[in-house]
Amino acid sequence: MKNFLKLTNFELNRFSKIYITLIGLTLVMQTIGMILLSSSYMSDVEEQLAMGNSMEWITINLGTFSFSSLTRTFWFGGPIIIAIVTLLIYVFFIWYRDWFGKNTFIYRLLMIPTARINLFFAKASTIFLMVLGLISLQLVFILLENELLKILVSDAFREDQSLKQIIFNFDYMGVLYPNSIIQFFINYGIGFMAVFVIFTGILFERCYRLKGILFGILFAGVSLLIFISPILLQVTILNEFFYPIEIFILMAITGLVVISGSIWMSHYLLNKKIRV
Amino acid sequence: MIEVKDITKKFGRKKVLNGVSFTANKGEITCLIGINGVGKTTILNAIMNLTPINSGEVLIDGEKIHKESYEKITFIPDAITMLPQMRIADAMQFMADFYQSWNQVRADELLSFFKLDPNDRISSLSKGNTAKVNMLLGLALDVDYLLMDEPFSGIDIFSREQIADVFTSHLVEDRGVVITTHEISDIEHLIDKAVILNDGVVLREFNAEDVRENEGKSIIDVMREVYQA
Repeated sequence: MKNFLKLTNFELNRFSKIYITLIGLTLVMQTIGMILLSSSYMSDVEEQLAMGNSMEWITINLGTFSFSSLTRTFWFGGPIIIAIVTLLIYVFFIWYRDWFGKNTFIYRLLMIPTARINLFFAKASTIFLMVLGLISLQLVFILLENELLKILVSDAFREDQSLKQIIFNFDYMGVLYPNSIIQFFINYGIGFMAVFVIFTGILFERCYRLKGILFGILFAGVSLLIFISPILLQVTILNEFFYPIEIFILMAITGLVVISGSIWMSHYLLNKKIRV
Repeated sequence: MIEVKDITKKFGRKKVLNGVSFTANKGEITCLIGINGVGKTTILNAIMNLTPINSGEVLIDGEKIHKESYEKITFIPDAITMLPQMRIADAMQFMADFYQSWNQVRADELLSFFKLDPNDRISSLSKGNTAKVNMLLGLALDVDYLLMDEPFSGIDIFSREQIADVFTSHLVEDRGVVITTHEISDIEHLIDKAVILNDGVVLREFNAEDVRENEGKSIIDVMREVYQA
């Protein structure tokens, strides 16, 4: 356990520069977006006021300014997409960088006197912590940017929104911030299960190289089939036999089967088949 | 004792090791000798469970390798296995964090012996100094067995001499050392036991001192006999 925590800490430190850059990029881009969009709106408002139009006329014709005016632009969504893409690339890079280059660090990692599956868990935990960290920070940023909005746009032209409204007014935010705890476990459970399966696929490739890519794809395919087997049965043989809650429970079980299979296979590969 | 028993290893269709067996004792320096590509590094990787073997087994003090074994045996590959952006001090801290057998007093002793600055980044070191740090990270572990892959390869004469001095010092004494080389001349006088490899098999395994005394031959003489036979 101690070695797992040390390894996780080590992996987190290795990613810290990129991570801090992502956080900085998100905060800076979203803040600049808020400043630019709100000042552009306010200059339109001032122009209309100078032309003698009433405030009522302006709010009807120009509309009010709300946080949604920012969330639907690249200023807000762009850094989120960049962060998601970076983390997706990092799911692969977190393993491959240990094999590449003259200083192959994988020798050192595999010779640490600890269960090798701890490497797998440490790398997976790093990804999970990074994802959850970014998600949490984005919530903090929304609150900060909302306060900034109150400074930049006067009350009369502003439509204040709660955090909940901001999230649910925007479609894909609902995926990142689910409405219920069950939905949270579904979304993030599937995501984390996918990370486990991809990790096992990577280990297949690292053990068997070219042939391993095929094994990895096969493993991912079988895992997907196992995971969605309750739905497949429901729509084919069983003819809508299960209630939705039963399907949910069955998929939670198949998800756990996939995760267990992935851990078991990775444990086997790391101990018996891995090569430097 | 390290026992390598009849190991075979294939890369695709190519059989690199074809039933290799030998033993390496504690307190002795055993040298695996052979030309490039003969499978010396593969044998060391197999001993450390860093590559799977197709058959045979490796025992360390009678046991198959397991996680605790890495406190008892270590491997110094031919390239340093630490992140290039690390300082020497960071690399030592990493070792101290993960290995109970890490001996900081010995590490400090080696630092001054090799005249290394702990604040230097690994990426900024010369080839010779990188090899010395690599050596330091292995030697500062209180392990019973040390495996070294081509420790003299591609480094300057003075670094070679410094590294060779390590073998005659208390830093190696009482430990079992398995070393690979394709240039025997630098270390011939240090070797207790030689294992000559070719085409994935052991051509001859002998005690260097016995051959010197009984047959009046050096290791190079025996190599000449074996390879030219």
